[in-house]
Parts: sequence; structure tokens; C-alpha cells
Amino acid sequence: MPKVIKTKTEFEGRVLEEYVVVEGEGLSAWDAHVPLQFVGKKTTRVDGPERVTGKALYTFDVQLPGMLYGKILRSPHPHARIKSINTQRAEQLPGVRAVLSHQNTPKISFRRQTFLFDEVVRYVGDEVACVIADDEEIAQDALELIEVEYEILPFVLDPEEALQPWAPRLYPDGNLLGGQPELYQRGDIERGFAQADVIVERTFRTQCALHNCMEPHGSVALWEGDSLTVWDSTQHIFGVREGLARLLGLPLHRVRVIKKYMGGGFGSKNNLGKYTVIAALGAKMTGRPVKIVLDRHEENLATGNRPASVQHVKIGARRDGTLTALELKAIVTAGAYCLWPPSLGGPARELYACSNVKTEQYTVFTNTGPLSAFRAPGYVEGTFAVESLMDELAQELQMDPIELRLKNYTEIDQTTGRPYSTKGLREAYERGAKLFGWHEARTPPAALLSRRHAPKLRGVGMASQIWSGNGMPPAYALVKLNPDGTATVITGTQDIGTGTKTVLAQIAAEELGFPIEKIAIEIGDTQLGLYAPLSAGSMTVASVGPAVRVAAHEARQQLLDVAAQVLEVPRDSLTIADGLFRSPALQKPVAVHEVLKNLENFMIIGRGAREPNPEDVAVNTFGAQFAEVTVDVETGEVKVERIVAVHDSGRVINPLTLSSQIEGGIIQGLGYALYEQRVVDRNTGIVLNDNLENYKLPTALDIPEIVFEMIDRPDFRANNLGAKGVGEPPIIPTAAAIANAVANALGVRIYELPITREKILKALGKV
Amino acid sequence: MRSFEHVNAPDIKTAIALLREPATEAIAGGTDLLGELKARLRSPRRLVNLKTLSNLREIRYSPKAGLRLGALVTLAEIERHPIIRERFSILAQAAASAATPQLRNMGTLGGNLCQKPRCWYYRHRLFHCWLKGGDRCFAEDGENKYHAILGADRCHAVHPSDLAPALIALEATVRVVGPDLDGEISLAELYTKPTESHRRMTMLGPGELIIEVRVPPPKKNARGVYLKAMERGSWSFALVSVAVQMSLEGKRIADARIVLGGVSTIPWRAKGSESILIGQEFSMELAERAAEAAIAGAQPLRDNAYKVSLAKSLVKEAVGSLAS
Repeated sequence: MPKVIKTKTEFEGRVLEEYVVVEGEGLSAWDAHVPLQFVGKKTTRVDGPERVTGKALYTFDVQLPGMLYGKILRSPHPHARIKSINTQRAEQLPGVRAVLSHQNTPKISFRRQTFLFDEVVRYVGDEVACVIADDEEIAQDALELIEVEYEILPFVLDPEEALQPWAPRLYPDGNLLGGQPELYQRGDIERGFAQADVIVERTFRTQCALHNCMEPHGSVALWEGDSLTVWDSTQHIFGVREGLARLLGLPLHRVRVIKKYMGGGFGSKNNLGKYTVIAALGAKMTGRPVKIVLDRHEENLATGNRPASVQHVKIGARRDGTLTALELKAIVTAGAYCLWPPSLGGPARELYACSNVKTEQYTVFTNTGPLSAFRAPGYVEGTFAVESLMDELAQELQMDPIELRLKNYTEIDQTTGRPYSTKGLREAYERGAKLFGWHEARTPPAALLSRRHAPKLRGVGMASQIWSGNGMPPAYALVKLNPDGTATVITGTQDIGTGTKTVLAQIAAEELGFPIEKIAIEIGDTQLGLYAPLSAGSMTVASVGPAVRVAAHEARQQLLDVAAQVLEVPRDSLTIADGLFRSPALQKPVAVHEVLKNLENFMIIGRGAREPNPEDVAVNTFGAQFAEVTVDVETGEVKVERIVAVHDSGRVINPLTLSSQIEGGIIQGLGYALYEQRVVDRNTGIVLNDNLENYKLPTALDIPEIVFEMIDRPDFRANNLGAKGVGEPPIIPTAAAIANAVANALGVRIYELPITREKILKALGKV
Repeated sequence: MRSFEHVNAPDIKTAIALLREPATEAIAGGTDLLGELKARLRSPRRLVNLKTLSNLREIRYSPKAGLRLGALVTLAEIERHPIIRERFSILAQAAASAATPQLRNMGTLGGNLCQKPRCWYYRHRLFHCWLKGGDRCFAEDGENKYHAILGADRCHAVHPSDLAPALIALEATVRVVGPDLDGEISLAELYTKPTESHRRMTMLGPGELIIEVRVPPPKKNARGVYLKAMERGSWSFALVSVAVQMSLEGKRIADARIVLGGVSTIPWRAKGSESILIGQEFSMELAERAAEAAIAGAQPLRDNAYKVSLAKSLVKEAVGSLAS
């Protein structure tokens, strides 16, 4: 009988308590010294060839007979009430099949604060109507024929302004999410500051960053009778299934969601999108399949962002560096709607041993595009502020930044009091410092002044990383053994581009003793797959991998049972490797298919589930990054010369896909530190750089040498793989390390991201 | 974009005749026009394809006549051409700094010189700005970090071309043909500050085309440099750029031409800086004064004062690098 327990899981800085059915126990992680054949080995992507030859079908590539195309009419105003919509002219345009708006669709509640088609629009880009037509161009033409009469409402773009009593309100109960700040306290913050010998206090600002996934958001919806199939670019097929069923009043078994290949999500595809529901409604209305894929402009308006923040941070310490108090007050721009506010206080609460901590977060509605999760939401922003101020504190105390961090090192999770299952941060500092040449490269602050007249200044900086990343139950997998000695792994996760399929194939191959090319991974389909959680929070491998391993293990046990009987050898004498049975009792190895072929279509089905998380320890990931920059004092140009990273995410399963995550995270962090910023026109609320020309992502020429190492030590308490997530950790400390390096170069700190030429020239007194 | 008819131009004369028709636009590389069409800033009914005019693709050079570049020569061809690299290096540098390899393979010289501004208000469908026939410049009290610091009036957009400052520094002329026109003017004269009745950045009228760019042979001991400050390492229009062409006789500066990009609605010739340099012995102090003169009269907006400092630094660095 399944056992139901209550478990705690940390997800993106918040601890969730939920009921889980306990299964999947009993398999312990591979011992650190046992040689493994696939796990830990560089493995090229099992679906690489179809991805790079254009054969992989992304959502955009789905073409169905009779398919129609949808284009969404978006609000040109930051805040307005729709007085009337006249769609008559649009409907009369040849090729237009339907026009959807609040007038002819059910009032479907969306994102808590709004409706699928709301009569109030709250940002430039908010959905007003949708044209379904024979092709995209006709749909686009028709959008211009829809006549909307708006009653313009006052708007507010700035979160600090939005908190003022006189500010225009987005909602009747005001602009503050939840009506009050999210407060966390431990100890006595005032007493902590009273105990301090030194107090540093600063205000940090971070910009709004846009995801710009390579693959845009989009859906194709098909009705067959009362059953709905949706191809959706999503990080959570089961979440989309649940959402569609709930909003459209369908039973779960009538909704199928498919995502086979994906070109990135970074958190912006965690949740059901309006376009998906609109496509389903449009398909119902027209009786034909409907595709809605957003364009780059829409991507940059309406699919989420990393919200801008203002963070007041105050740290108190004794002369020897011991922290006595840490306080962070954050104002976060929710935009118009908010499902899941990021937790900016996470690093302040967790990074250091400190008994007096207070974090306070105001998540504020403004008339701008809504936030969403974005690769380590909150922690990238919070780490920039806390780790910048730690450097100022180190300077104030005349300590080395690493020494100060080690002084406040903790083996105990400060928020729960539980010890960490493993924590390799000390080693990450040491190895990183050595790899980087930290002690040689660092110019002591005192020597900085004398260099102010050099044309180029060089500086180094570092920062630390903490994040969750252990995943959670429930997640399920099946492993089927086919008569020809191949295996099919079935689960309901999705590969968002990180290499999930490859990693799952390695795990299954390892456990089964089959060659990796004999393993097929079937994921991304709710109808055929089994539940797996969303691919977010760096938890896919740690959630789904253990279930796959249990399923493979169970299949292997059955296979051994059968083989022992067929081969007439003692079961205990049998091993499987390379798809061959070996036993001292056998004259020569026997291939798996040789055994199975005698059994006709007998099929082995192994079932696996993710085991519960441990209750007595905290499972986290850690790391440290080091940056070297040069700054041209004449032109303000900052160049990142190199980044060194050392991270601890438990056991490494695939060094190749892992390196993509580490490098990708650092590159995205570098873009955030130096270039990326959504620009909204202050007078109209219109996003001015909703394109890849003016939203500046780093190019190949901006990417420095990146050197990284992993601690690569299994975390035996985390799960049966000993592996933890690595998707988000590498982006967390990059901006902070670069900002610290720039401060080290200039001798002056820049408290606001991105660090542009303008800010450098201002800091140098040249503007 | 809206549908349109695409017509291949059989010859220049026909092209000009076609382009006089209403709602007709010329297309060559398309790297600028397609952006406008996709944003639906313009919706021509007909595009006249100039790429069929194969006689406009040549690069010719003679020591006497100098360099002649057909309007359809691509930026990539300019960037790679050995003689341009050797004798007109400032032009090769400017071409190499523009856009990306993919865009340089498509973009043509004529198109680059005639491109529309990148101002984000101009390029946005929701702003009917003065340059597009509206009644105000939204950048003036809006988001203006990329906008003009010198000589702006009703429009604060900057001219985005990298080639134009380099070619003006090289004293290039252009051959312009049109319905009632076939003549040669200096490239500097092609650019005009947009006015109430002529809201364009060049003096070209309907049906008028640049068909050739001519660059006189380099002066004795002439050297040039093109410096461009961008927000990232590549694929960026200039925040500020500077093209400096100088002739030196020993330490004495015999001639100098300095043209800035990214600072005004037209490529900005810094005549004040030139006259400070010409005839003088080079020194860093002189370069400093020339740099100061380049930004004389600058009127930055709220967010672009950094460009003043940047322009000064680039002029100083460019002059300094040529003299030393």
C-alpha cells in the first residue's frame, strides 16, 4: 500500500510543504568509487543529429491538414478599459475565420488577477483579441481592421512610485501584491546591528531582463471530437494539461499535451500561456486546428521577464568579520500580473551564518509586462546585492573577500537549522582561487588610486552561489524491454534543450547494462508518458533521473529472473554488461536478445518512482565564480577577460551537457551584468527595445575565456543518483563577480546593473 | 509585412521610371527595408529590385582616378578588398565594424548610405513621430541614450551609417541619377538635416538613386583610422564613431578630415577640430584641443551626455594613434 507523507521541498527560494505518496525507496546512490560505464562520461546528445539537421519537430514546425493561424491583437495603451470592440471589418476580410475577444469567449480567470480576454488592459502588449485566419499575413492584416475604443486610464511604470498612496492603482486593493510585504525574520535585527563594529549599507538596482528563448512561445491546438491535443512550447506538459482541463472544463483524459523538442524556456514557459488557451478556443470555434506562435516582439512584451528591483541592503559585522546582522529590503516590479514572485531575499537568508537576519520584499504591480521565473529567479538579483556589499564590507575591514566569506561559512542551513547533506563551497573557493590565481591577481584597494591615470584598469572579483536543485517527487518512469534487447524509457518530463534525454539514457544504460544506443527515450507527451514535474528549479535530472533508475533497476531484476531460468544458471552468478549476460556458469557471454527471443513477445516492464526527499538535512547546490575585467577609462568600455567557476552540484552525470549549462549560465549572467536591459518609454509605457537589435545579448566577441571545474562528489542523501541540478547555479554569481571586479578595477563601485559605458564614465566623473 | 509586387529592374533608366510611381520602393540588400516592412512602417505596393543592375557591382581602382565603387557593392566586398584595405583602410575598417558578417554579405554600399535612422521611436509602429510626418520627436523627453548631441533640431535621431563618416573623411563624391538628374555631388552634401518640408536625412527625391561612389586617390602620406564605440563587441550601431584621415609631413599635420557618426542627424564633420590640427606639429595637447573642438556646441539630452565624453575620447585617441 502506498504510504502518504508530508514533505518539504525547496523550490526557487521558497519551502513548499506538500503531501506525497512515498514510493521508489530502497535504491541507494552509486558509491563514489564504483566505476561506472555511462554515468559521468562525456556523452553526445542522443537527439543531436535530428536537432542539427532540422529534422526535429519544434512546436512551430507542426503542420496539420487544414490548419489555421492565429495572431493576437495587443493593447497599445499601458492602462485602459475597453469600451467596445468592433470586429466586423476584420471578419469580412477574405481568409479570416474567426475573431475572438471578450465578447464571444467565456470569461476565463487567468493568472489570478485577470481574464483570458479582460475588459481592462494593464500593459502595452496585453491581449485584446485574436484573429484566426488562413495564414499569418491575413491574420496580421485583419488585426488592423479591428476597431477598439479605449477609455484611457492613468498608469504607473515605476515600482517605487506605484507604492505611493497617490499612484494610479492597477487593482482595487492597491499595487502591492498580497497587500503587505513578504517578511522573514530570525533573531533580533536591531540587536544585531547594535553588536556590530562596522555597518555597511547601500541601495542596489537591477534592470528588467528578457528571456529571448531561441524558440518562441506557441501552440498548435487540434480537436478530435471532445479530445484536445496541444503541441505546446512548455516546460511543463502536465501543468499545461491540468490548466487547459481546468479552464476549459475538460476531464484530464481528454487533454493531451506534446512537447518533443524545445529551444529554451529559462522559466518563461513554466506556466500555461494565454496563447495556448486561445488556440484551443479558436480551434473549437472554427473546427480546424489552429497554430499561434508569438513573434520576437511579442516574446519581449508578453512572455515574462526577470523583474527590475531596488534592494536596500545593510550588513553589520564585528571587527574580525563575523556578521552580526543582515537586512535586505527589496522592491520588485511584478508588472501587470504575478503568479509566483521571485524571492530576492534568498541569498541574504541562506549564504552566511548570521543569527540576526531580516528580509522584506514588496512585489509591486505596475503597468508593464508581467514577470515570470527567469533562470534562478530572485537569486541572481539578490546575489548581486549581497555579494557586492560583502565586498564593500571586506574592504572596510581590510580583509580578503574570500577570507570574509569563510569567516561566516555555515554547514547548517540557516533557515531550517538542518545540516547540509553536502556542501562543497569551501572547496569551491579554494579551487577557484587557485585556478584563477586570485591572490596574485588581486590588487589591494590601497594600490588602486595610483593607477587612476592608466588608460586601462584591470580588476578581479568573486562571488558565491547557493541554490536548491534537488528536485522532488512525484515523478514516474517505465522501462520496457523489447524482445530484440532494446529498451524504451517512458516518462512525462520534457527536454527543454538541456539534454534531459541524453542524461536519462545514460542512467538507464548504466542500470540495465545495455549499450546506450539500445535505449530510446520517450518523453514530452502527457498521454503516453507518466507524470513528471516541471523542468524548472534545476530539478529535472534530480526528480526524473531517480525514477528512471528505479524503473531500469526493476526491469533488470525481472530480466535476471527470466534469464537465470532460460539459461539454467544460478541467478546470483549472472551479470549484464554491454547487453550481454555473463556468468562463470556460461561458456561464453549470451546477448540479451538471445534470451528474450525464446520468449516470443514476452515483455518486461519496470516501474519507477522518485523517492521522497530527506527530512533531516538540507540539500543545496553551491559554487563560486571569479572574474577578471579590464575597463577603458577613456571610453568606459568593460571587457570581461576571463571567468573561472567551480560549482558543487553533486555527482556529474554528463560532463558535456553540463558544460553547456555552466557556459550558458555564465554567458547569460555576463549579458545581465553588462548589456541586457528592457527599455520602457517613460511617457507611454511602450517597450522600445522589443527586438534583438536593441535588446543587447552578448555576442561571440563578448564572451571571455571560461574555465570551470566541478566538485563532482555524489550527494548520497539527495537522491539515488547523488546528482543535483546545474541549470541555474552558474548564472547566479556571474553578475556579482563581474561587478566586484569592476569595483576592484575602478576603486569606485557601480550599484546598478547593467554596467554600461555611461555608468563607468559617470563613476569616473567624466559625465 | 503586407503583400507587394516584386519587379526586377532591367536597367537604371527603367528603375528610375518605376520608382517615380507612388507606393514604390527600391530594394537591394534589403537589410534596412525589410525591417521597416515587417514593422509595417511602410507598405509599398511594389518593390523594384536593383540587384539585377549588374553593372553597379564593380570595384575599380586606378592611381589617377582613385576608387570607384558601384552602389551594389556589398559591405563584405569592401571589407575584404585588398586595395581598399591597403590604400583606403579607413573605409575597410568602417565596413568591417558594421553589423554582422551575415548582414555585410547582403547589405550594399548604396543602401548603407541611404539607410533610415535606427531611432527606436522612428522604428516603432506605435509612435507617429515627426520624421514620419507626425508633430513631435518622442526622444526629446523620452528615452534618448542613443540620440543626437550635436546639431539636432526637430528630430534627434542619429545617422546610423558607418561607411558615411569614413567616405566623407576620404572626400568621396556620389553619382546621383534621377528623372531629371545625372550628376556628381560630394557625399557630405548628400546629407541634410531633415526640415519641415523635407523630412528625410538625404536630399534624394523620389526616383533618385546613388549609382556610384567615387573616392579620390589618397593624398601623400595619408593615413586613416575609424574608431567605433558600441554597447557590445559586434552587431551594434555606433554609440559614437569617428573617422579621421590625416596627412603628415614629419610631425606636421598637412591635412586632416574628421567626421563623427552617431552624434547627429547627419554624419558630423568636425571642421573646428580639423582647423586646429592643420599646419600644426602634432602633440597630445593639440589632439586634446582638437577633441574638445569636436564637441563644441554639444547639447546633450537627459540620457546621452556620456556621448559627449565618448566623442572627445575617440577623437583624441584616433588623432593620437595616427600621429604616433
